[in-house]
Formats: sequence, structure tokens, C-alpha cells
Amino acid sequence: MVLSRVPPATRAWLGLLARLVVGAVWIWAGAIKLPDPAQSVQAVRAYQLLPSAVVPTVGQLLPVVEVVIGLCLVVGVLTRGAGVLSAVLLVAFVVGISSVWARGIEIDCGCFGGGGTRVGASSAYPWEIARDVGLLLLSLYVVWLRRSRLALENVLFARPATTPTPITTTTEGA
Amino acid sequence: MSKRAQDERSRKAAEAIAEQQRREARRRRLNIGAVVGVVVVLVLAGFLYTRIADSSTDVTAAAAGTSEYGVTVGPDGAPHEVIVYEDFLCPFCGELERKTHTKLQELAEAGKVQIDYRPFHLLSPAYSSAAANAFKVVLDASGPKVALAFHNELYADQPDESGPFPDADWLVDKAVDAGAEESAVRPGIEGSTQASWVDAATKSAEDSGVQGTPTVLLDGKVFQDGRTIDDIADNLIEAVS
Repeated sequence: MVLSRVPPATRAWLGLLARLVVGAVWIWAGAIKLPDPAQSVQAVRAYQLLPSAVVPTVGQLLPVVEVVIGLCLVVGVLTRGAGVLSAVLLVAFVVGISSVWARGIEIDCGCFGGGGTRVGASSAYPWEIARDVGLLLLSLYVVWLRRSRLALENVLFARPATTPTPITTTTEGA
Repeated sequence: MSKRAQDERSRKAAEAIAEQQRREARRRRLNIGAVVGVVVVLVLAGFLYTRIADSSTDVTAAAAGTSEYGVTVGPDGAPHEVIVYEDFLCPFCGELERKTHTKLQELAEAGKVQIDYRPFHLLSPAYSSAAANAFKVVLDASGPKVALAFHNELYADQPDESGPFPDADWLVDKAVDAGAEESAVRPGIEGSTQASWVDAATKSAEDSGVQGTPTVLLDGKVFQDGRTIDDIADNLIEAVS
């Protein structure tokens, strides 16, 4: 892997960059949707993919989860978990957009608010998929890296230092 | 210092270090627990908020047959009541209509259901309001039966949402096909004489809480039972059969 030739310090800084980019996108995407859950539910329904019984829950939960994942990544807590969840969601979005594309349904992806049918929306599908794949790769990088710079968890969750304990060899005061 | 005293000191030092490590490990666990707790609380609180704020099913519409903005088929007091808010240009409305109108209207004739179709102007192209205007012109000039047939015709031959859009002559032809007198409907269709009715119908739909089309109400409740429009159509027919 090319990344193994990158010095560890640079990798850790790149990890910070990846966290900030992916995290900021999640916070932005979620915060836009939060004030209008009905719109979010409608956007999910427009994919015609999920059973109607779960559509409202998904539409209501998604903006909240997006904001929280984004916060975790930006602040740097539970980053691996947030990275995994981020990757899983992005895969789901790529599947969703590919699916409507394949079925010839023209909808606003509802990625950043909006949603529902829109004339000519399919022209944006390739770019939306490319963007999500890019974010997916960044998320996977965060997961793979484990530790990055300026993460709150480096302080909060620091493992106890395993100091060598030269107890029996002490001669002090002998 | 004696060997014994030395051992004692070493033991104490080791205990102190082990104790400190235990404290640090404990602090770490507490921090992880606290952060996980905060995340869980944030998600639950957010979800509670969005669930309460979700107004998708908060539609309180006038009962079927009591609105000035629709055409009704089927008897008063039928066991079920269906209200359909729709836009003549919306593709999903067209899909729903083409899948349901024959069967639903048969059921209505048989007295099983009363259906109230309420067109309004949601989508921006002019055809959306022109068709709704024509619907009201036909309703006034030729009565509900012809207006219903006209409504069915418009969906059966629905233009694409991206155009090209049919003109007034096309709407007049459809009205005549549905059974209207050309001389009775042409001036109203060409002159958009019911534009203010269309605006009022649109306002009424919005005031009722309708946020998109098609919005289907079964016995007063928003009906969204189905993954695709086709599923919803099938389930709706089944529910009132």
C-alpha cells in the first residue's frame, strides 16, 4: 500500500484532515435536514426502496445520526466507530442512488435537504456517487489509521503509561 | 538499610505504581463511558425531536364530498372515504391514477367507497395550473361525471414533467372527448377564468397540511402503505375492496 511509505507523522495529520472533511460534510448534511423532518422522510420515501413502515423512522433518525457522526469525527471521539458508521451509511447512499438510477427514477438525492422528484435529476447521479465514494475512502482511512492528530480521545482515552518498574534492582539508600 | 526494609520499600513502590495504573485505567473507562453516554443521549434526544417535529402525517382535510375543491364519486356514507390531493403534472400522481382510477371508480360506483379527487397547483410549469383551471371549467360547465372523465383522460395521457407541454386546444379536445360541449368550455380554458379557484384550492391544500403529491387520505388518515407507488396503489384498492 502506498500509504505505508508515508511517514507516520504525516499519516496522522492526514487522518486529522480526513476527519475534518468527512465530519464537516456530515454535520452540514444533517443540520440542513434537522429543521424539516417531514422533508427528510419524503426524501427517503422517494427512493421507493424501504418498506413504508420503516421509512418515517429512517427519515427522522438520519439527520440526527449524521450530525452526531460528524461531531464525533470533528472532535475526535470514538473516531473508529464513527468512521465505520460513516462508511456504512455512504455505502447505503451509493446503493440507493445507483438503484434509482437503474430504475429510471428521477429524484433529488436529498443528500443536503430537499428530496422528492425532480426533472433531470439523474444527470447529477454520477457526481453524487463519485462524491460519496470519495467520502467513503476518507472514512475507511480514518478507520484504518486508528489514531490521528488533535483528537480529543488521544487525551481522554489515553491508555495508562506502562512504565517499566525497576523495583527489585533498586539500591538507593543501601 | 536492611534487606527486609528494602523489600518492603520495593513492594510499596510497586503497589503505588499499580494503584496509579488502576486509577488511570478506571479514568479511561469512565471517560469512554461518559462519551458513549453523551452520544447516546444526543441521538435519542435528536430522534425524539425529529419524531415530534415530523409533520408528514399531520393532514387534516375536509371530509370527502365537503370541499369546494374537488370532484366526488361514490355515495355519501360509503364504508370508506378516500381523498386524493394531486397535481395534474406530477409523475407519481399519474402513476397512481393510471393504476387505480378504473378499479377505484368501479368500487365507488358499487358503493364501497367515496372518492374525492382534489387537484391543485404544486409544480411550477404552467401546464400544472392550466390543467387544474380546465378541470374546474369542465366541472362547472358539464358537471362532475364529465369532470371525472376529463380528470382520468388528463392522467391517462399525462405529459412529461420536463415538457413539451400541451396547449389550450389540447385541453379543450380532452374536455370534448370526456363529454363536454366545446363552446361551453373553450372560453374558460383559453382565458384561465378559474385561476383564482386554482389558487384557493392550492391554499386550501397547504392549509390542510398537504406537503407533496400525491397525498392520499384513507378514512381521514394519510395512506402511505407500500414501498413503491404501485404497491401503494394495490394496497389502497385492497383496503377499500
